Amino acid sequence: MHGELKHEDVEAARRDLADRTLAKIRGDLARLIYLASMRDYNTGEYHHEGLAYMFTESVAGEAIASCHREVFRRLVLCSLKELVEQLELHARTNCSSSAELARVWAKLQPYRVTVPLECSPLAGRFFLSNIKAALAILQSRQLRAHPE
Amino acid sequence: MSVLAYLLLAVVTIFNICLFLSRRGGRRDFDREVDGTGHGTSVPFGRERLNSELSARLFDPEDVDFVASETYRGDARQFRRERTALALDWLRAVRGQVNQLIRAHVKAVRGNAGVKPADEIRLGFEFFLFQLNSGFLYFVIWACGPPRAAKLVRYSLELAGQLQKATEDVLPAGRQVAMELLEGNQERKT
Repeated sequence: MHGELKHEDVEAARRDLADRTLAKIRGDLARLIYLASMRDYNTGEYHHEGLAYMFTESVAGEAIASCHREVFRRLVLCSLKELVEQLELHARTNCSSSAELARVWAKLQPYRVTVPLECSPLAGRFFLSNIKAALAILQSRQLRAHPE
Repeated sequence: MSVLAYLLLAVVTIFNICLFLSRRGGRRDFDREVDGTGHGTSVPFGRERLNSELSARLFDPEDVDFVASETYRGDARQFRRERTALALDWLRAVRGQVNQLIRAHVKAVRGNAGVKPADEIRLGFEFFLFQLNSGFLYFVIWACGPPRAAKLVRYSLELAGQLQKATEDVLPAGRQVAMELLEGNQERKT
């Protein structure tokens, strides 16, 4: 189905999503979570009513999938130091402390569902390992700041 | 005389270890192809770019040093172990791709009258050199961790690139057949 999509339509939908929505979200990690949240866990397909209304359901789906892959790629290739900063920014914009975010994320591991379906197993494992390390860094910073 | 004998023994031992490790990696590649899980080796071509970009991060000491300076020893050790496992998987994926390329090349040249034996020997030698180098690299990553193996990785990738170029030079028309065979393999797996 996606093979029949026009590249220009998908590109236009991509730009629309990037300019109207993603540009307003602070940080790639928050963007990744937002994009992954539009994916149906059972089918792996993306849904966005506004974008589907402007284009078509399949064009919107492919545009979101493409943005998801791009944001994920940026996060996979960024350094661990940058990833820790992304986590801190995400904690600040969601009104929770870095320590609280690290504690909850270490338990629930919500970041596992943010990996794109088409990504290679190696890149997926690399990302999850980096997130785990970044959370460990946040937790150890918290422990050093408040040893009791 | 005895020094020379020991030296010879050491060279033979290293060679055997490299050969063993490289065959071990190859067998895992084969197992993965058979069980259809597709983890590691059967990476579709669209994913190659991210995997090759990933190698720069995998072997960069920056992250390992950062974790060591920011976390406790146990966490840092765990992170180093994970990075080593990932780097070994990455190497298996590269080896898997080169093996696939050579297999496809062998299929393409079979029965081709225009093949020059000298070129095939050169290709065979470069393939042997790659196998030896990647086997040694596997051992270095496993023993010393990815950051210390970075230089050797660069050399291995250069060899892999040379092999790809050599298969194109040796048989330009066969390249198309090889690509079709590779794509056919990928489709069957997915």
